[in-house]
Amino acid sequence: MSAALQNLVNQPYKHGFVTNIESDIAPKGLNEDIIRLISSKKNEPEWLLTFRLEAYRRWLNMIEPTWQNVKYPKINFQNISYYSAPKPKKKLASMDEVDPELLRTFEKLGIPMHERAALAGVAVDVIFDSVSVATTYKEKLAEVGIIFCSISEAVQRYPELIRQYLGTVVPPGDNYYAALNSAVFTDGSFCFIPKGVKCPMDLSTYFRINTEESGQFERTLIIAEEGASVSYLEGCTAPRFDTNQLHAAVVELIALDDADIKYSTVQNWYAGDENGVGGIYNFVTKRGLAKGRNSRISWTQVETGSAITWKYPSCILRGENSVGEFYSVAVTNHHQQADTGTKMIHIGPNTRSTIVSKGISAGQSNSSYRGLVRITPTARNARNYSQCDSMLIGSQCGAHTFPYIQVQNNSAQVEHEASTSKIGEDQLFYFAQRGIDAEEAVSMIINGFCKEVFQQLPLEFAVEATKLLSFKLEGSVG
Amino acid sequence: MSTVIWDDYLEKLIESWRKEGEPSRTVSYLNRLRANALSRIESLRLPTIRDEEWRFTDISSLRNTLFPRASTASLPGLDSQKSTFLDEPTCRLVFVDGQYMPGLSGLTDDGSIIVCSLSELTGICASKTEQYLGQLADFQDDVFVALNTALMHDGICIVIPANVSITVPVHILYITSGKEVAAYPRCLLVAESEAEVTIVEEYVAWQEGVSLTNAVTEIYVGESARVNHIRVQREASQAFHIANNSTFVAKTAHYDSVNLALGARISRFDQKITLAGEGAECQIDGLALIADRQLADTHTFIDHASPHGRSRQLHKCIVDESAHGVFSGEIMVRPHSQQTDARQLNHNLLLSEKARMDTKPQLEIFADDVKCAHGATVGQLDKESLFYLQSRGFAEEVARNLLTYAFGGEIINRVIVASLRQRLEEYILVRTRIS
Repeated sequence: MSAALQNLVNQPYKHGFVTNIESDIAPKGLNEDIIRLISSKKNEPEWLLTFRLEAYRRWLNMIEPTWQNVKYPKINFQNISYYSAPKPKKKLASMDEVDPELLRTFEKLGIPMHERAALAGVAVDVIFDSVSVATTYKEKLAEVGIIFCSISEAVQRYPELIRQYLGTVVPPGDNYYAALNSAVFTDGSFCFIPKGVKCPMDLSTYFRINTEESGQFERTLIIAEEGASVSYLEGCTAPRFDTNQLHAAVVELIALDDADIKYSTVQNWYAGDENGVGGIYNFVTKRGLAKGRNSRISWTQVETGSAITWKYPSCILRGENSVGEFYSVAVTNHHQQADTGTKMIHIGPNTRSTIVSKGISAGQSNSSYRGLVRITPTARNARNYSQCDSMLIGSQCGAHTFPYIQVQNNSAQVEHEASTSKIGEDQLFYFAQRGIDAEEAVSMIINGFCKEVFQQLPLEFAVEATKLLSFKLEGSVG
Repeated sequence: MSTVIWDDYLEKLIESWRKEGEPSRTVSYLNRLRANALSRIESLRLPTIRDEEWRFTDISSLRNTLFPRASTASLPGLDSQKSTFLDEPTCRLVFVDGQYMPGLSGLTDDGSIIVCSLSELTGICASKTEQYLGQLADFQDDVFVALNTALMHDGICIVIPANVSITVPVHILYITSGKEVAAYPRCLLVAESEAEVTIVEEYVAWQEGVSLTNAVTEIYVGESARVNHIRVQREASQAFHIANNSTFVAKTAHYDSVNLALGARISRFDQKITLAGEGAECQIDGLALIADRQLADTHTFIDHASPHGRSRQLHKCIVDESAHGVFSGEIMVRPHSQQTDARQLNHNLLLSEKARMDTKPQLEIFADDVKCAHGATVGQLDKESLFYLQSRGFAEEVARNLLTYAFGGEIINRVIVASLRQRLEEYILVRTRIS
């Protein structure tokens, strides 16, 4: 058994040290000493500390952006504790103690019983269970040479890989929240698919999150070498009743020649209550670099949670013939806000990109699509197709579209279209005629509206996303 | 433009105006308006590419010259300007370097149209325009509108009284003499309820030269009135052209506009249309045909502020050589503007490798029972169409030019004044090199 596996098997006991971790919480506030503390706690090499400090110094000189179409009270960055499990979960003795609201949600989503327990943070043996599951997978992955572990572990075990790639796609000074993340990130995932390997299964953070407490500032790095391919699933489909305020993650993907990375997200963080109180601010920088020839990066996201979702999973298409894809469904209800979209930067010749974005707004929510398609002078014969459709449910919500199209090459072909619609009375009438009530009819219409995106999701995610959507919009029509 | 910075360029500019002295003899509300605009300028600055609305249009070269205001314009002979007049009978109003020239102007109408210059704004014209002048074009956040408003002592007010239909087009000709001066022409058109009028605004250069035009046009379309607005910008190839157009469309009124950007080194056109009354409609079309190192920037904003509004927009750009086209079109649907029907299309043709196009169509929707769509494309001529024409015996270059012409022709066809359309067709033919 390798050391990595040994570590993993030992993971569940981490919860036994909860008190220990608690006593370790760093004082609130952000300064160079805190960053040094994080770095030394994690036993990081000198270069990583320098990386963090440099990011911090740049962050200090940056101005918080204000151009976004979301509103939130000013965040006090000195009021956050940057080293600690943000909120150690209380262990519950049995399912009876779990919030009934949460149980109802699990029921609706059709999550298997043992997973429900794990997600609600109940019995420890269940976690043991899922770790053994994770372990079998890890063995299988290790056989073909795939590295899949937490980023802190990777820093210790594969420092040269981390050093080579970390911050190459999202540089430390890229934007305000990316700089903050670069300075204080505590954990995240690392995935390396060696040359010519097709990953035999969908990788998911799901298994990992059960065993490790993921911080507010996650850092994910995925590298697919020549000819490699991987499908990566992020987030859990079940609601995490977490009250963290700010979630500023960075995700970097690197695809070399002929490599293929598919990154799927189903995000359902806590969205706040019906009155817009509480909820997560999901400010994430996600970017993929299609570095090699014929490489492909595909983002699929279903965004249903968070009080505020603000992210633009992007593709830099540098390699010749590289392909970028973005499929997104963003659902907002009550007082949620979403400003999301993508950037497709075409640099290499014959690069192609597709954008399909579906926004659904209900209640008093606001949802924006903001996207950039840039064709640089070197991107001969680049091709882009973008489609963004919005659906409004109720008269108090808003839908917005802000596409930027910048073309500096006359051989490029760029198309963008957007439309807005509502669920028509005649459609509902048609369903009613066939004995289908309004609630179900709406759910079916919405699923039809989102079909193009759901088709891109791995099967079990697609099933859950469908359920999640109808659950999310429950009661918003009628 | 929210930061309060006293801009040194504007400071020098206003300093130079003060030296020139203030014009006298104007009505009190005009003086008040100008004073307000002048004090507002103090907290504004010239936009830079760091401002979202100007990020693709770099006007920093404007700072190199402190364009003085044109003093008494030298009158070009009437004959020398004949070529720019339209063949049809028109109500002609001529500006030279931003100054109204009654001597060159002429009204061929039965007198139902009320025209008066701002410098002699009195009587019925003053009372009919007071509630609109300076009220439609907001100068609070726009430094160019503020500059124009601060200098508003020359310009023209046109009133079409209720139920009057003006059969001849109103031709407003803005002539740039070619001197290194700045022109600040101002125009207000009020079409009262059920009035009808066609207005042609044409910007032409008498001769080449570096000059600045900062024009503001305000249009009020009264209840059930119809206004057809054609705007042709053919400034000198080194000129700066900045224009603002604010239109207010009342209940069941209709506003059509065609905007052609052909000249100027850097041109920027801001068009704001408020569909303020229930059932108001507008159709706004545009074509930018640019080459060399020209930059043509068109910003449109259609504000659906009432239910049952309808808007249609088609904007095209043909960008050749090292030119740079910019389009930003925003459609806003306010809460309660139910049953809005808005459609916007933007097609762009890049003809050379160095041509550049930045486009940003935007929808902002706050009502649910609406139909809104927009589309944008950037590309080159369709290869199959080219092949088709070649298979019919057209040389490749001719086929290309023909297709380019046809691309722009769709907009030219919407110009309803026959002689102007013909002149524009000829102009486009020359530009697309079909002989």
